[in-house]
Amino acid sequence: MRTATWIEQLAHELAALDVPSADAAAIVVEAESHLGEAAADPLAAFGAPAAYARLMADALAPAASAGPAAGRVRARVAGVHKRYRGRTVLDGVDLTVRDGEAVLLIGPNGCGKSTLVRILAGLQRPDGGRVAVDGSVGYAPQHGGVAPHLTPSEQFVLFGRARGLSRAAAIRDGVRLADQLAWDAARAPVAAALSGGTRQKLSIVLAALGEPDLLLLDEPYQGLDLDSAQRFWELLWDWRDRGRAALVVAHARDALERADAVVELGRASAPLRSAA
Amino acid sequence: MKRTDQRPAWLRGVLDLCLLALLDEGEAYGYELARRLEELGFGAIPGGSLYPALLRREKLGHLRAEWRAGDGGPGRKYYVLTPAGRAALSEERAAWRAFAGSVEAALAGAEAAR
Repeated sequence: MRTATWIEQLAHELAALDVPSADAAAIVVEAESHLGEAAADPLAAFGAPAAYARLMADALAPAASAGPAAGRVRARVAGVHKRYRGRTVLDGVDLTVRDGEAVLLIGPNGCGKSTLVRILAGLQRPDGGRVAVDGSVGYAPQHGGVAPHLTPSEQFVLFGRARGLSRAAAIRDGVRLADQLAWDAARAPVAAALSGGTRQKLSIVLAALGEPDLLLLDEPYQGLDLDSAQRFWELLWDWRDRGRAALVVAHARDALERADAVVELGRASAPLRSAA
Repeated sequence: MKRTDQRPAWLRGVLDLCLLALLDEGEAYGYELARRLEELGFGAIPGGSLYPALLRREKLGHLRAEWRAGDGGPGRKYYVLTPAGRAALSEERAAWRAFAGSVEAALAGAEAAR
Protein backbone atom coordinates (compact mmCIF):
# COMPACT_ATOMS: atom_id res chain seq x y z
CA MET A 1 0.00 0.00 0.00
CA ARG A 2 1.28 3.44 -0.88
CA THR A 3 2.26 5.55 2.11
CA ALA A 4 0.41 8.57 0.72
CA THR A 5 -2.81 6.54 0.44
CA TRP A 6 -2.41 5.18 3.95
CA ILE A 7 -1.78 8.65 5.38
CA GLU A 8 -4.77 10.05 3.54
CA GLN A 9 -7.01 7.29 4.88
CA LEU A 10 -5.68 7.82 8.39
CA ALA A 11 -6.69 11.49 8.20
CA HIS A 12 -10.16 10.45 6.98
CA GLU A 13 -10.55 7.92 9.78
CA LEU A 14 -9.46 10.38 12.49
CA ALA A 15 -11.95 12.93 11.19
CA ALA A 16 -14.69 10.27 11.16
CA LEU A 17 -13.91 9.55 14.83
CA ASP A 18 -14.26 13.27 15.63
CA VAL A 19 -10.65 13.56 16.77
CA PRO A 20 -9.97 17.32 17.16
CA SER A 21 -8.14 18.59 14.10
CA ALA A 22 -5.00 19.71 15.97
CA ASP A 23 -4.62 16.25 17.55
CA ALA A 24 -5.37 14.58 14.23
CA ALA A 25 -2.74 16.67 12.44
CA ALA A 26 -0.14 15.75 15.08
CA ILE A 27 -0.98 12.04 14.76
CA VAL A 28 -0.75 12.17 10.97
CA VAL A 29 2.54 14.06 10.89
CA GLU A 30 4.07 11.74 13.47
CA ALA A 31 3.09 8.63 11.51
CA GLU A 32 4.30 10.22 8.28
CA SER A 33 7.64 11.06 9.83
CA HIS A 34 7.97 7.51 11.20
CA LEU A 35 7.18 5.95 7.82
CA GLY A 36 9.56 8.30 6.07
CA GLU A 37 12.41 7.32 8.31
CA ALA A 38 11.64 3.61 8.65
CA ALA A 39 10.93 3.26 4.89
CA ALA A 40 8.45 0.57 5.95
CA ASP A 41 5.17 -0.62 4.46
CA PRO A 42 2.55 1.34 6.43
CA LEU A 43 0.24 -1.68 6.80
CA ALA A 44 3.06 -3.74 8.30
CA ALA A 45 4.30 -0.94 10.55
CA PHE A 46 0.96 0.49 11.72
CA GLY A 47 -1.83 -1.83 10.59
CA ALA A 48 -4.97 -0.63 8.79
CA PRO A 49 -5.63 3.13 8.98
CA ALA A 50 -9.04 2.58 10.58
CA ALA A 51 -7.61 0.40 13.35
CA TYR A 52 -4.73 2.77 14.04
CA ALA A 53 -7.06 5.77 14.12
CA ARG A 54 -9.26 3.97 16.66
CA LEU A 55 -6.26 3.13 18.88
CA MET A 56 -5.07 6.74 18.85
CA ALA A 57 -8.57 8.10 19.45
CA ASP A 58 -8.88 5.78 22.45
CA ALA A 59 -5.49 6.91 23.78
CA LEU A 60 -6.60 10.54 23.48
CA ALA A 61 -9.93 10.06 25.23
CA PRO A 62 -9.83 6.95 27.44
CA ALA A 63 -13.32 7.69 28.76
CA ALA A 64 -14.77 7.20 25.29
CA SER A 65 -12.93 3.93 24.74
CA ALA A 66 -16.13 2.23 23.64
CA GLY A 67 -15.78 4.23 20.42
CA PRO A 68 -18.65 5.81 18.55
CA ALA A 69 -21.89 3.87 18.65
CA ALA A 70 -22.09 1.37 15.82
CA GLY A 71 -24.27 2.66 13.00
CA ARG A 72 -27.76 1.39 12.41
CA VAL A 73 -27.88 -1.86 10.44
CA ARG A 74 -28.88 -1.14 6.83
CA ALA A 75 -28.53 -4.60 5.37
CA ARG A 76 -28.34 -7.98 7.00
CA VAL A 77 -27.80 -11.27 5.23
CA ALA A 78 -27.94 -14.45 7.31
CA GLY A 79 -27.26 -17.97 6.09
CA VAL A 80 -28.14 -17.19 2.49
CA HIS A 81 -28.02 -20.04 -0.02
CA LYS A 82 -28.35 -19.80 -3.76
CA ARG A 83 -28.01 -22.43 -6.46
CA TYR A 84 -27.64 -21.43 -10.07
CA ARG A 85 -27.72 -23.91 -12.98
CA GLY A 86 -27.28 -26.81 -10.59
CA ARG A 87 -24.27 -25.27 -8.92
CA THR A 88 -24.13 -23.81 -5.40
CA VAL A 89 -22.99 -20.18 -5.71
CA LEU A 90 -23.80 -18.96 -2.20
CA ASP A 91 -23.49 -21.39 0.67
CA GLY A 92 -24.65 -19.94 3.96
CA VAL A 93 -23.38 -16.38 3.55
CA ASP A 94 -23.58 -13.87 6.44
CA LEU A 95 -23.08 -10.17 5.98
CA THR A 96 -23.98 -6.94 7.78
CA VAL A 97 -23.68 -3.41 6.47
CA ARG A 98 -24.20 -0.51 8.85
CA ASP A 99 -24.53 3.22 8.43
CA GLY A 100 -21.10 4.83 8.18
CA GLU A 101 -19.54 1.68 6.81
CA ALA A 102 -18.16 0.91 3.35
CA VAL A 103 -17.96 -2.86 3.20
CA LEU A 104 -15.90 -4.42 0.43
CA LEU A 105 -16.99 -7.77 -0.95
CA ILE A 106 -14.12 -9.78 -2.42
CA GLY A 107 -13.53 -13.28 -3.71
CA PRO A 108 -12.50 -15.18 -6.85
CA ASN A 109 -14.48 -15.05 -10.10
CA GLY A 110 -17.72 -16.97 -9.95
CA CYS A 111 -17.93 -17.05 -6.16
CA GLY A 112 -21.29 -15.31 -6.13
CA LYS A 113 -20.38 -11.70 -5.37
CA SER A 114 -22.65 -10.29 -8.07
CA THR A 115 -25.42 -12.72 -7.13
CA LEU A 116 -25.30 -11.56 -3.51
CA VAL A 117 -25.46 -7.91 -4.57
CA ARG A 118 -28.38 -8.67 -6.90
CA ILE A 119 -30.17 -10.38 -4.02
CA LEU A 120 -29.65 -7.28 -1.85
CA ALA A 121 -30.93 -5.10 -4.69
CA GLY A 122 -34.06 -7.27 -4.77
CA LEU A 123 -33.44 -8.55 -8.32
CA GLN A 124 -32.96 -12.18 -7.29
CA ARG A 125 -34.37 -14.28 -4.49
CA PRO A 126 -32.23 -16.49 -2.32
CA ASP A 127 -33.08 -20.22 -2.11
CA GLY A 128 -32.68 -20.07 1.65
CA GLY A 129 -31.65 -17.81 4.50
CA ARG A 130 -32.74 -14.31 5.48
CA VAL A 131 -32.15 -10.96 3.77
CA ALA A 132 -33.26 -7.67 5.27
CA VAL A 133 -32.62 -4.23 3.80
CA ASP A 134 -33.73 -1.16 5.72
CA GLY A 135 -34.39 1.83 3.46
CA SER A 136 -33.80 2.80 -0.14
CA VAL A 137 -31.18 1.17 -2.36
CA GLY A 138 -29.00 2.57 -5.15
CA TYR A 139 -27.50 -0.11 -7.36
CA ALA A 140 -24.85 0.04 -10.08
CA PRO A 141 -24.62 -3.36 -11.80
CA GLN A 142 -21.33 -4.58 -13.21
CA HIS A 143 -22.57 -4.01 -16.78
CA GLY A 144 -25.38 -2.13 -18.43
CA GLY A 145 -26.64 0.09 -15.65
CA VAL A 146 -27.40 2.97 -18.01
CA ALA A 147 -29.96 3.66 -20.72
CA PRO A 148 -27.98 3.84 -23.99
CA HIS A 149 -30.19 6.27 -25.88
CA LEU A 150 -30.70 8.93 -23.22
CA THR A 151 -28.27 11.72 -22.33
CA PRO A 152 -26.80 11.69 -18.81
CA SER A 153 -28.95 14.69 -17.82
CA GLU A 154 -32.12 12.88 -18.96
CA GLN A 155 -31.12 9.86 -16.90
CA PHE A 156 -30.44 12.08 -13.86
CA VAL A 157 -34.00 13.40 -14.18
CA LEU A 158 -35.52 9.91 -14.51
CA PHE A 159 -33.55 8.34 -11.66
CA GLY A 160 -33.83 11.49 -9.54
CA ARG A 161 -37.61 11.56 -9.84
CA ALA A 162 -37.80 8.01 -8.49
CA ARG A 163 -35.96 9.28 -5.40
CA GLY A 164 -38.08 12.39 -5.01
CA LEU A 165 -35.77 14.95 -6.63
CA SER A 166 -37.11 17.74 -8.80
CA ARG A 167 -35.80 17.97 -12.35
CA ALA A 168 -33.45 20.84 -11.49
CA ALA A 169 -32.18 19.17 -8.28
CA ALA A 170 -31.59 15.87 -10.09
CA ILE A 171 -29.48 17.52 -12.81
CA ARG A 172 -27.61 19.66 -10.29
CA ASP A 173 -26.80 16.67 -8.02
CA GLY A 174 -25.95 14.41 -10.96
CA VAL A 175 -23.54 16.93 -12.45
CA ARG A 176 -21.97 17.52 -9.03
CA LEU A 177 -21.42 13.78 -8.45
CA ALA A 178 -20.02 13.42 -11.97
CA ASP A 179 -17.67 16.31 -11.26
CA GLN A 180 -16.37 14.43 -8.20
CA LEU A 181 -15.40 11.68 -10.66
CA ALA A 182 -13.68 14.23 -12.93
CA TRP A 183 -16.38 14.03 -15.58
CA ASP A 184 -18.30 16.94 -17.11
CA ALA A 185 -21.75 15.39 -17.53
CA ALA A 186 -23.68 18.59 -18.26
CA ARG A 187 -23.11 18.56 -22.00
CA ALA A 188 -22.38 14.86 -22.55
CA PRO A 189 -24.00 13.00 -25.48
CA VAL A 190 -26.27 9.93 -25.17
CA ALA A 191 -24.76 7.11 -23.13
CA ALA A 192 -24.14 4.86 -26.14
CA ALA A 193 -21.67 7.46 -27.45
CA LEU A 194 -19.66 7.53 -24.20
CA SER A 195 -16.51 5.49 -23.54
CA GLY A 196 -16.83 2.42 -21.30
CA GLY A 197 -15.16 4.21 -18.40
CA THR A 198 -17.47 7.20 -18.69
CA ARG A 199 -20.54 4.95 -18.86
CA GLN A 200 -19.26 3.38 -15.66
CA LYS A 201 -19.10 6.84 -14.04
CA LEU A 202 -22.67 7.48 -15.17
CA SER A 203 -23.75 4.20 -13.61
CA ILE A 204 -22.12 5.18 -10.27
CA VAL A 205 -23.74 8.63 -10.34
CA LEU A 206 -27.17 7.14 -11.04
CA ALA A 207 -26.78 4.74 -8.12
CA ALA A 208 -25.77 7.51 -5.72
CA LEU A 209 -28.26 10.12 -6.93
CA GLY A 210 -30.73 11.21 -4.27
CA GLU A 211 -28.64 9.67 -1.47
CA PRO A 212 -30.17 6.21 -1.12
CA ASP A 213 -29.71 4.61 2.31
CA LEU A 214 -27.66 1.74 0.91
CA LEU A 215 -25.33 2.00 -2.07
CA LEU A 216 -24.59 -1.26 -3.93
CA LEU A 217 -21.76 -1.08 -6.46
CA ASP A 218 -20.60 -4.07 -8.48
CA GLU A 219 -16.95 -3.54 -9.55
CA PRO A 220 -17.66 0.15 -10.05
CA TYR A 221 -14.14 1.21 -11.02
CA GLN A 222 -13.72 -1.31 -13.89
CA GLY A 223 -12.54 0.64 -16.91
CA LEU A 224 -11.77 3.79 -14.93
CA ASP A 225 -8.33 5.30 -15.34
CA LEU A 226 -6.14 5.57 -12.23
CA ASP A 227 -7.07 9.15 -11.43
CA SER A 228 -10.78 8.46 -11.80
CA ALA A 229 -10.49 5.30 -9.70
CA GLN A 230 -8.82 7.31 -6.94
CA ARG A 231 -11.63 9.86 -7.16
CA PHE A 232 -14.15 7.04 -6.94
CA TRP A 233 -12.59 5.85 -3.67
CA GLU A 234 -12.65 9.41 -2.33
CA LEU A 235 -16.33 9.66 -3.23
CA LEU A 236 -16.93 6.38 -1.41
CA TRP A 237 -15.04 7.49 1.73
CA ASP A 238 -16.95 10.75 1.69
CA TRP A 239 -20.21 8.77 1.45
CA ARG A 240 -19.16 6.60 4.38
CA ASP A 241 -17.90 9.57 6.41
CA ARG A 242 -21.29 11.18 6.04
CA GLY A 243 -22.69 8.18 7.86
CA ARG A 244 -24.11 6.35 4.88
CA ALA A 245 -23.83 2.65 4.04
CA ALA A 246 -22.20 1.06 1.00
CA LEU A 247 -21.38 -2.44 -0.22
CA VAL A 248 -18.80 -2.58 -3.00
CA VAL A 249 -17.70 -5.61 -4.99
CA ALA A 250 -13.93 -5.14 -5.19
CA HIS A 251 -10.69 -6.92 -5.95
CA ALA A 252 -8.68 -8.36 -3.08
CA ARG A 253 -5.85 -6.03 -4.06
CA ASP A 254 -8.03 -2.97 -3.48
CA ALA A 255 -9.62 -4.45 -0.40
CA LEU A 256 -6.23 -4.71 1.28
CA GLU A 257 -5.47 -1.12 0.40
CA ARG A 258 -8.86 0.36 1.14
CA ALA A 259 -10.17 -1.96 3.84
CA ASP A 260 -12.85 -0.51 6.05
CA ALA A 261 -14.58 -3.81 6.52
CA VAL A 262 -14.07 -6.75 4.19
CA VAL A 263 -16.18 -9.81 3.52
CA GLU A 264 -14.59 -12.57 1.51
CA LEU A 265 -16.72 -15.05 -0.39
CA GLY A 266 -15.62 -18.35 -1.82
CA ARG A 267 -13.64 -19.60 1.16
CA ALA A 268 -15.18 -19.12 4.57
CA SER A 269 -18.03 -16.67 4.48
CA ALA A 270 -17.06 -15.19 7.84
CA PRO A 271 -16.01 -11.54 7.79
CA LEU A 272 -12.24 -11.13 7.62
CA ARG A 273 -12.48 -7.98 9.61
CA SER A 274 -15.30 -5.70 10.55
CA ALA A 275 -15.09 -2.04 11.35
CA ALA A 276 -18.06 -2.46 13.64
CA MET B 1 4.87 -27.74 18.83
CA LYS B 2 6.01 -24.63 17.00
CA ARG B 3 5.49 -21.54 19.14
CA THR B 4 4.72 -18.14 17.77
CA ASP B 5 6.75 -15.16 18.95
CA GLN B 6 5.50 -14.40 22.47
CA ARG B 7 7.39 -11.15 22.82
CA PRO B 8 4.59 -8.91 21.45
CA ALA B 9 2.15 -10.27 24.03
CA TRP B 10 4.63 -9.92 26.88
CA LEU B 11 5.70 -6.46 25.74
CA ARG B 12 2.10 -5.25 25.87
CA GLY B 13 2.22 -5.18 29.65
CA VAL B 14 5.57 -3.42 29.95
CA LEU B 15 5.90 -1.23 26.87
CA ASP B 16 4.84 1.91 28.76
CA LEU B 17 7.34 1.20 31.49
CA CYS B 18 10.17 0.62 28.99
CA LEU B 19 9.33 3.86 27.19
CA LEU B 20 9.44 5.83 30.43
CA ALA B 21 12.77 4.21 31.26
CA LEU B 22 14.28 5.03 27.86
CA LEU B 23 13.04 8.61 28.10
CA ASP B 24 14.62 8.90 31.54
CA GLU B 25 17.94 8.83 29.68
CA GLY B 26 16.89 11.80 27.57
CA GLU B 27 14.25 13.00 25.15
CA ALA B 28 13.59 11.01 21.97
CA TYR B 29 11.08 10.75 19.12
CA GLY B 30 8.90 7.77 18.27
CA TYR B 31 10.91 6.02 15.60
CA GLU B 32 14.09 6.44 17.64
CA LEU B 33 12.40 4.74 20.60
CA ALA B 34 11.17 1.90 18.36
CA ARG B 35 14.71 1.33 17.09
CA ARG B 36 16.22 1.32 20.57
CA LEU B 37 13.64 -1.19 21.82
CA GLU B 38 14.41 -3.38 18.83
CA GLU B 39 18.13 -3.16 19.59
CA LEU B 40 17.37 -4.26 23.15
CA GLY B 41 15.86 -7.48 21.73
CA PHE B 42 12.13 -6.80 21.88
CA GLY B 43 11.63 -7.43 18.17
CA ALA B 44 9.93 -4.97 15.82
CA ILE B 45 7.64 -2.58 17.69
CA PRO B 46 4.41 -1.92 15.77
CA GLY B 47 3.49 1.76 15.43
CA GLY B 48 0.01 0.73 16.55
CA SER B 49 1.46 -0.21 19.96
CA LEU B 50 4.12 2.46 20.30
CA TYR B 51 2.25 5.67 19.52
CA PRO B 52 -0.93 4.97 21.49
CA ALA B 53 1.28 4.19 24.52
CA LEU B 54 3.18 7.46 24.11
CA LEU B 55 -0.05 9.41 23.63
CA ARG B 56 -1.66 7.85 26.74
CA ARG B 57 1.34 8.82 28.85
CA GLU B 58 1.30 12.29 27.35
CA LYS B 59 -2.37 12.67 28.32
CA LEU B 60 -1.54 11.43 31.84
CA GLY B 61 1.06 14.19 32.10
CA HIS B 62 3.95 11.73 32.32
CA LEU B 63 5.38 12.94 29.01
CA ARG B 64 5.55 16.33 27.37
CA ALA B 65 5.69 16.70 23.59
CA GLU B 66 8.07 19.03 21.80
CA TRP B 67 7.94 19.52 18.06
CA ARG B 68 11.18 20.01 16.14
CA ALA B 69 11.72 20.49 12.42
CA GLY B 70 12.87 17.22 10.79
CA ASP B 71 15.63 16.91 8.18
CA GLY B 72 13.63 18.22 5.25
CA GLY B 73 10.71 15.89 6.06
CA PRO B 74 7.72 16.57 8.31
CA GLY B 75 8.35 17.76 11.87
CA ARG B 76 9.36 15.35 14.59
CA LYS B 77 7.53 14.97 17.88
CA TYR B 78 10.01 14.56 20.72
CA TYR B 79 8.87 13.15 24.04
CA VAL B 80 10.28 14.49 27.30
CA LEU B 81 9.81 12.81 30.68
CA THR B 82 8.07 15.16 33.16
CA PRO B 83 8.56 15.10 36.96
CA ALA B 84 5.22 13.25 37.21
CA GLY B 85 6.53 10.76 34.65
CA ARG B 86 9.72 10.25 36.64
CA ALA B 87 7.66 9.52 39.76
CA ALA B 88 5.47 7.07 37.82
CA LEU B 89 8.58 5.39 36.45
CA SER B 90 10.12 4.74 39.86
CA GLU B 91 6.84 3.39 41.20
CA GLU B 92 6.17 1.14 38.21
CA ARG B 93 9.79 -0.03 38.04
CA ALA B 94 9.59 -1.27 41.64
CA ALA B 95 6.26 -3.00 40.96
CA TRP B 96 7.65 -4.69 37.84
CA ARG B 97 10.78 -5.90 39.63
CA ALA B 98 8.64 -7.48 42.33
CA PHE B 99 6.46 -9.14 39.68
CA ALA B 100 9.44 -10.32 37.61
CA GLY B 101 10.90 -11.76 40.82
CA SER B 102 7.73 -13.76 41.38
CA VAL B 103 7.84 -15.12 37.83
CA GLU B 104 11.48 -16.07 38.27
CA ALA B 105 10.77 -17.71 41.63
CA ALA B 106 7.96 -19.77 40.09
CA LEU B 107 10.19 -20.87 37.20
CA ALA B 108 13.10 -21.73 39.49
CA GLY B 109 10.80 -23.61 41.86
CA ALA B 110 9.33 -25.64 39.03
CA GLU B 111 12.80 -26.48 37.79
CA ALA B 112 14.03 -27.51 41.25
CA ALA B 113 11.03 -29.77 41.76
CA ARG B 114 11.81 -31.84 38.65
